[in-house]
Amino acid sequence: MAAEQLFDLTLILLLLGLAGAALHTRSLYTSIVLFIVFGLMLALTWARLGAVDLALAEAAIGAGLIGVMLLAALARSAADSTSQPARVPLSISLLLGVLVLALLIRAIQPLADSNSVLPALVDTHLDESGVSHPVTAVLLNFRAWDTLLELVVLLLALIGVRQLGSSGMALPPTWPLLRAWSRMLAPLTIIVGGYLLWRGSHAPGGAFQAGAVLAAGAVMLRLAGLLPAIRWSRWPVRALMLGGVATFALVAAGTHWMGDGWLNYPPGWSKQLILLIEITATLSIATSLTVLVIGENEHPAP
Amino acid sequence: MSAALLSLLIPLLTALILLLVRVRAGSLVILANATSLGCAALALHQVVINGAQQLNLGGWETPLGIRFELGPLTALLLVFTALIHLLVAIYAQRSRHSQTRDTDFWPLSCLLHASLGALWLSRDLFNWYVTLELLGLVAVAMVILSGPRSHVPALRYLLLSLAASLCYLLGVALLYGQYGVLDIRALAGVTSNDQVTRLALLLLTLGLMIKAALWPLHQWLPAAHAAAPTAVSALLSALVVKGPLFILWMLWDNVAPEELARQAGIFFAVAGIAALVSGGLAALRTPWIKVLVAYSTVAQLGYALLALGLLLYWQDATMSIALWLFVIAHGLAKVSMFLAAGEIQATLGSRHVSALKGASQTMPIAMFAFAVAGGSLIGLPPSGGFVAKWVLLQPLFLEPARWPWALGVLLGTLASAGYVFRVVAIAFDRADPNPPDYDPDVSAQWLAMLPALIVWAMALISEPLIEWFQEVGL
Amino acid sequence: MTSTLIYLCGGVSLWVLGLHALLVHRNALRRIMAVNVMGSGVFMVMVALASRDSAVDPVLQALVVTGLVVAASATAFTLRLATADPLDEDDQERK
Repeated sequence: MAAEQLFDLTLILLLLGLAGAALHTRSLYTSIVLFIVFGLMLALTWARLGAVDLALAEAAIGAGLIGVMLLAALARSAADSTSQPARVPLSISLLLGVLVLALLIRAIQPLADSNSVLPALVDTHLDESGVSHPVTAVLLNFRAWDTLLELVVLLLALIGVRQLGSSGMALPPTWPLLRAWSRMLAPLTIIVGGYLLWRGSHAPGGAFQAGAVLAAGAVMLRLAGLLPAIRWSRWPVRALMLGGVATFALVAAGTHWMGDGWLNYPPGWSKQLILLIEITATLSIATSLTVLVIGENEHPAP
Repeated sequence: MSAALLSLLIPLLTALILLLVRVRAGSLVILANATSLGCAALALHQVVINGAQQLNLGGWETPLGIRFELGPLTALLLVFTALIHLLVAIYAQRSRHSQTRDTDFWPLSCLLHASLGALWLSRDLFNWYVTLELLGLVAVAMVILSGPRSHVPALRYLLLSLAASLCYLLGVALLYGQYGVLDIRALAGVTSNDQVTRLALLLLTLGLMIKAALWPLHQWLPAAHAAAPTAVSALLSALVVKGPLFILWMLWDNVAPEELARQAGIFFAVAGIAALVSGGLAALRTPWIKVLVAYSTVAQLGYALLALGLLLYWQDATMSIALWLFVIAHGLAKVSMFLAAGEIQATLGSRHVSALKGASQTMPIAMFAFAVAGGSLIGLPPSGGFVAKWVLLQPLFLEPARWPWALGVLLGTLASAGYVFRVVAIAFDRADPNPPDYDPDVSAQWLAMLPALIVWAMALISEPLIEWFQEVGL
Repeated sequence: MTSTLIYLCGGVSLWVLGLHALLVHRNALRRIMAVNVMGSGVFMVMVALASRDSAVDPVLQALVVTGLVVAASATAFTLRLATADPLDEDDQERK
């Protein structure tokens, strides 16, 4: 077995071990910490598989923001954190799991060798797309409709959270070191976020990764008490959150009724339109994720 | 195509405006729904004249881009969605008991409308995954509008819905891995009956069956639908569970290899009959009014499942028509039933079925709406439910070998008659009527009646509709 | 055994692991983590499929980016729903 495959096998076993431990450890706190480590290892795996876009997204979201949210959720639900008895005897459920797994693994064998026509097609049309990074071209041009709906999903998660009333995360008293570090790190996150956004047109990066990094910076500043509360009740916040979907939808409508068709960017305008959509989407994603993580003292009724 | 896109875009933009300026004007939503209904009707008209239309989003041909298709069924479903939204919005705006007045119900219902429009139009497996997630999240966000009591069923619904989405997504990944395309028409030509395809279809089917609450994966539905505010329950039962059903039908009717489809058909048909019987029995037993109506949804989805199964088993296209007539008739009748049940339980101040004692006297219009809607669910002629059942039964009578299936339909009919008469019988027990807590709201009761009247009026247009469907296909 | 096959098997194993945990656990946070592990499994299958050729498939990678956003949004909502205080004042008010 080649060294490369040995590495892959070790990585997979490590991931499986981490996931299994995270899901079955007795203490919920340990579980969450292991889960965050699992997210980081996953980012490494994506990088190993050549999906740098994903590695960036996973590190910011999977390990970062979701980790923060899990820990905050644990703090809120401290009462029932003991492990409860399983509903099904473990041996039976394990046996079933192994059976399903065997079935799945047996069936997916042939997939390793077949291939798709799409990468070649993406390559052919990349010049017409307005960007030179294929993943960004797929996200914002070839399959832009998916991305529009994805922004609506994010918006829906926000509205859903709003129905639950207050108490996102109790802000602890500020810690001087955190304040000092935040002052230094915050400009850095803005620079990194901006860089990722700009880079997205020709290399891994883009709206979602940039938005996630900006959100991480905003969450840190808010925890350090350096940022005023970001509330739904302020109209600029709402405008930022809705801006991504609104711009996207208006571009779609505009291209349909004035141009060649739904989301069919006019020739020569692709680059500008994609940039406009990406900037508004980044701001929407950053604001929405920040509010999702530290969403505070909302009063749903006006 | 422009009209269809407009009927999707109007609710989306309305939702954004409502969220931005924080008005919770029901009247704006009603206006938007009415406009959307007009656009959908125009789209249907265009399809009648010009036939099905295609749209490649972004101008990219299919394997690369996403394709929209506006066929007869899609156009009809767009009209159906807009109509149901309009009826429910008028009720929610007018009734004192809709529990939705000063909430985010309005933008959420607009987003639901837009999501459904996107689902009906799309023909792309991955795009459907995103629309399914949209439906799941919007449905849960609407369920929790009714307050903390609904959190437990909502959480259960959300977790199951997420797991179901991931089941579906794994299926999509396997199909893409095998065939390298995501468009349903591109897949239709190339699928073969091999191990990967079978496994992928199994995963897709499991995910979609959980989301559509098809027996035996329906356990989450009664609690979640019953816990929601009345107007939301109506939308969930009439529309949300039909989205995954549409994808399931598309997949099995188009993508699945014929041999496999025949085998799966038997399973779907048997599950359909089991749903009819077990859902009906549960509705007969439950002590709660809204849970009864929710179990009736589980049972009625059995007809759709039975029609799907027989469609696959016999490869008989009439069954598709029966399936979608059932969906539309059930949607309208169920809106009426939920609105009437919600109005009655809010006015009488109890969620218990026994509280309905004497309701035919205290709230005659709402009770009448319940009975009229129930008549369509049972399949009394000439309601929409009867028309659907007639289309389903006709091929069953052709050969003696098919008669056992008709027995299943009969069992389902008996069960639905059972739970409708259970409610009606209690309501006509006028000896000791349960006094209402509030003055009955007459106009709200009439609004609950309206969809039931429409479903009975369906009989008038059903003949040209069925002929048209038979002529052009769905 | 090629690298692609290793990651494909790893992906489905994670998926089954997550599904199993979702079915056996009762604690809401654990079930949410289980759903996330399931998601990671599906994404791993997709990324492994994307990199099976010498030319990486950008479509699948883009689909995973979309899937990741969707999963993260849904997870955030689920976490808040799971830990919402049932006796929240605002909710009581709004009833």
